[in-house]
Amino acid sequence: MSAPHLALAVDIGGTFTDVVVLDQRTGRFHAHKELTTPDNPARGVVTGIARLFAREALACADVGRIVHATTLFTNALIERRGARTGLITTAGFRDTLEIGHERKYELYDLHLPLPEPLVRRSLREEASERIGPDGGIEQPLDAGSLRAAAARLVDKGVESLAVVFLHAYANPAHEQAAGRILAEAHPGLPVSLSSEVAPQIREYDRTSTTVANAYIKPLADAYLGRLSTDLRELGLRAPLFMMLSNGGLTHLEEAQRVPVQLLESGPAAGALAAAVFGARSGLRDLLAFDMGGTTAKLCVVQGGEPLVAHRFEAGRERRFTRGSGLPLAISTVELIEIGAGGGSIARLDALGLLKVGPRSAGSEPGPACYARGGTAPTVTDGNLLLGLLDAEGFAGGTMRLDAGLAERAVGEVATEGGLATAEAASGIHAVVNETMAAAARVHVAEHGRDARDFALLVTGGGGPLHGCEVARRLGIRRVVCPPAAGVASALGLLLAPARVDRVATLARTLDQLPPEALEAAFQRLEEEAGAVVAATLGPDVPREVRRGADMRFAGQGYEIVAALPPGPYGAASLAPLRDAFLAAYDAIFTRRPPVQGIEFVNIRVSVSAKPPGSSLEPGLAAAPTPVGQRGLRIEGKLVPVPVHARAGLVAGARLQGPALVEDGMSTLVLPPGAVASVEANGNLVVTLPGPRQAADTPLMEHAP
Amino acid sequence: MATAPRAFDPVLLELLWTRLASSVDEAAAALLRTSFSTIVRESHDFACVLADAQGRSLVQATDGVPSFLCTVPRTMRHFLDEYPAETLAPGDVLLTNDIWMGTGHLPDITVARPVFRQGRLVAFAGSAAHAPDIGGRIRTAESREVFEEGLQIPPLKAVRAGVLDDTFARMLRKNTRVPDQVMGDLFAQFTALELMERRLLALMDEYGLDDLEALALEIQSRSERAMRAAIREVPDGTYRGEVLTDGLAQPIRLVLALHKRGDGIVADYTGTDAQVPRGINVCLSYTFAYTAFALKAALCPEVPNNEGAFRPVTVEAPRGCILNSTPPAAGANRALTGHFLPPLILSALAQAIPERVIAGVGSPLWSLNFAGQRADGSTTANHFFMNGGYGASALRDGPNVLSWPSNVSAAPVEMIEQHNPFRVRHRRLRVGTGGRGRHRGGTGQEWLFENRAAGPVAVTFMAERTRIEAAAPGLAGGEAGTPGAVLVNGVAVDPKRQHILEPGDTVELRTPGGGGFGPPAERDPAAIAADIEDGFVA
Repeated sequence: MSAPHLALAVDIGGTFTDVVVLDQRTGRFHAHKELTTPDNPARGVVTGIARLFAREALACADVGRIVHATTLFTNALIERRGARTGLITTAGFRDTLEIGHERKYELYDLHLPLPEPLVRRSLREEASERIGPDGGIEQPLDAGSLRAAAARLVDKGVESLAVVFLHAYANPAHEQAAGRILAEAHPGLPVSLSSEVAPQIREYDRTSTTVANAYIKPLADAYLGRLSTDLRELGLRAPLFMMLSNGGLTHLEEAQRVPVQLLESGPAAGALAAAVFGARSGLRDLLAFDMGGTTAKLCVVQGGEPLVAHRFEAGRERRFTRGSGLPLAISTVELIEIGAGGGSIARLDALGLLKVGPRSAGSEPGPACYARGGTAPTVTDGNLLLGLLDAEGFAGGTMRLDAGLAERAVGEVATEGGLATAEAASGIHAVVNETMAAAARVHVAEHGRDARDFALLVTGGGGPLHGCEVARRLGIRRVVCPPAAGVASALGLLLAPARVDRVATLARTLDQLPPEALEAAFQRLEEEAGAVVAATLGPDVPREVRRGADMRFAGQGYEIVAALPPGPYGAASLAPLRDAFLAAYDAIFTRRPPVQGIEFVNIRVSVSAKPPGSSLEPGLAAAPTPVGQRGLRIEGKLVPVPVHARAGLVAGARLQGPALVEDGMSTLVLPPGAVASVEANGNLVVTLPGPRQAADTPLMEHAP
Repeated sequence: MATAPRAFDPVLLELLWTRLASSVDEAAAALLRTSFSTIVRESHDFACVLADAQGRSLVQATDGVPSFLCTVPRTMRHFLDEYPAETLAPGDVLLTNDIWMGTGHLPDITVARPVFRQGRLVAFAGSAAHAPDIGGRIRTAESREVFEEGLQIPPLKAVRAGVLDDTFARMLRKNTRVPDQVMGDLFAQFTALELMERRLLALMDEYGLDDLEALALEIQSRSERAMRAAIREVPDGTYRGEVLTDGLAQPIRLVLALHKRGDGIVADYTGTDAQVPRGINVCLSYTFAYTAFALKAALCPEVPNNEGAFRPVTVEAPRGCILNSTPPAAGANRALTGHFLPPLILSALAQAIPERVIAGVGSPLWSLNFAGQRADGSTTANHFFMNGGYGASALRDGPNVLSWPSNVSAAPVEMIEQHNPFRVRHRRLRVGTGGRGRHRGGTGQEWLFENRAAGPVAVTFMAERTRIEAAAPGLAGGEAGTPGAVLVNGVAVDPKRQHILEPGDTVELRTPGGGGFGPPAERDPAAIAADIEDGFVA
């Protein structure tokens, strides 16, 4: 029997469970899509693996590692299907969770719904204790009050417990003592401590995070336990790794300890795949743009890595409105979600403006042209009328689109707005593109960057269709369309590094911090994180350690994340540390304030290691297939546009826009003047012409 | 070469408008992230506005604090009176905190930067933000004249062609207790203005716009039409309202007649009590801002904020009444009067459209303000905001503790304790304070602060609805919420006065509950049971 040479990835999404297996000797991969089984998600995983292995005649014994991502826990939060959870806080603060930020996320909506706290008031208790802001113990923990509080909660049927004491980020002693006392009094009851889940200043955000962790912990324990048992029964003995929201892998125990870190594992895998595909074309600064049926997602990839944020919102009352969800202080690949997809509905608003989205026809009834009863004009209807889609070969030929229904739906909004149907169709296309570009622009600017410095990497059904036009609006000149975009997330899992992030709050200024104390604080975090990475990939895999900090000018209220030079720090480190902060500050803001003091709020450590054997073979077909032709009206003239089949393109081929490239699941639109080249790695890389003079001239118009 | 007249079809206008809005959002994000004071950073007490060359607003972020609604463009027009277009140059920044030209109290500093294209003034980028300190007596209502409330800055050119005026900067620094924070926030405002200018010029390049006149006209007239259409849906009539505030020795009466005719609304405050020799007077700009805010929230919240949306609204208040103060009336705590306006407007609208409004809210915004000395003798001052319960409506219970109409959040206890000489002994819901009703009003909250400084600190408050007659009223048969209270060492005190806390002394702020909606007898038994289980009622 040969050494295990297969790597297996499983990504559970809302509709499909993607299974991909990579042969690490050849770089060839095989993929399978299985319907997700929400009642018992492990069943779909096992069935999918069994089918793929049977189809490709693979042996379970040859699998060396298994990597897993899932949206199950996010959905459990959204659908409020978690455990009955109790909360114990410092006396005087049990209502912190419910009082929240006291702000309305939409000021003008008198009737807006607010997210219910995950723990109702009757399940929130208090214990006597007090720790000061410097970590000093001001009042010892009263074990009796803690036991009594826990007993009341357990009597009320609580299945999971969160403990959040004030200033526990500065000194976790009381929470740790509480953990021991509770384990003794209630063995088997899962307990989440804020100092372990989110050791950061700001009590509401920390409470919200710890409670969310407690809420999904029993679910995660049960599911992950079940999955590993089922996989073993299938004959898979290889270790199971989990993708974290930050785009790193970790072993099962770490995932079970703080499952709130798993919430965004699916999207994180997608962003990671984008970074990898981009790097294969030598592009390390990317905007990963994934447009589906309901939403578009955008992630900034910088220096070959997706940006990681340290705040996240789950279970929003209004999906695209910031502040309408539960704040979570976790590391997560930073994605924005935009209410723009193929199903997004076009309408005239009260001001007579053409708006597209965020309301979506979804897949049921779907766009009017699906002929499933939808009558509202959507982005897909517009695209069909523009000639961008093949009515006969949509979704791999599984669906026929009805141009007459699209014409009727778009015609209605056109009449209302005093436009010709063709103008409305190109208007829908332009508006949805500007909506996505505007969101991208603000997002990129929040990082102090300019979109023009990035390439756009497009995935999803809509990414290739809209990518070049979104890029043009952002001033981006290069667009990358990777192969196998349909299972990109699962592929990303196989290429992900092991990564563990750790954070600690210092809340001290640079001149209050002896360098050796700072060094010791970093080393503690590095040892902790390093141990988890070693347990994931083995002690011998080379590790990369990165230091960073949430820093600000003393007195500012928002921190920026600065990458710091490597340690160890000594007296000579003060200047480089200061410079690192100033460099990060200058990169975001144009002016420095007239303030001298610099404060470390949180310090952060990221330890990562690359798994062995992670290269891919594109698997390109050798011979070009015949091209078809479609008519597009471009700037008023009817232009016959060549249609290429993606599978038929050989490495080195060059395509001149205007042209369309179809691959079963999507169509890449090459505008006039664009040049696409097919690279040996399977990527199609598009170079767009320089800035256009009149940006509002529609690029594409209706083909009669 | 002159621009050919452009037609704005629904597509082109949407594209341009989206882009303008995103540039203001970018600027707001930059201001927030570079600001220093708690008040801006945790409480979002600022606004960014893009206006045309005449100072008529085009875009303002929809979620800004209402006190800045319409005020920044008004201030821009005062700037233009003092500094006509021909006296302005690229890189200039105009600045004032004049309360009658600005937002009604001195801490709000309004700045505007003229934007030039090909040598021509095409726009103003503007911003207003609440400075952490502006000298004078600390945020007390006791001032008899504006002169006691701090430094008054007339409209002046604070930045000339990119260079900050040193005389001004030194004067300002000398007149505030926390000069680094004040200057830091001012720089954050300048950063936001620069960003708006860059984005606007890039947009004009891309779309080949030489000026914004046609675009401004289109944006403003469409918004105006939408607002008028929404007003037309309200039955014609005169709807009256009246409210008592805590006031001073005696409550203060605010009187409203809301005349709705066709597609316009006149809010007439004739009959309202006269201005008082205390810092709770309201300038007309602030009266307009909160009147317009309430009307828009009730009638057409989705229409974007710009000049056009507010043209159908007229506000009348006799000169010298407390809603249209005249110099030298003090106004530092104008919110204590002005925040009663939105509930007053809604109570009048309730006569026409009860299902679209909410019961009384435990507003105005409360705060604890303090000044003291650190161990090293340096001065320290800060404010901590907090809110009361929200009003119930035909749809649902009023949420517990929610900021309205100001939308200012409270700072985290852990942040307060890290940076200030206080311990917070508790911060909890004030159960039983929401007005009863078919839908219950939201509860207020209570904060207990202990002075941990080495010496005494002076505290003042923003606190209202502490008299029973000023409680947040119920609607449609719902009961009023419980009034608020301020206690020093456990004893109720006059919240309008300054108090000195010795080390170890405590002060507790108990914010009011919101009003209920509908008769209490109609409350769903399941909701009553849940209230009992969660301890919201006994």
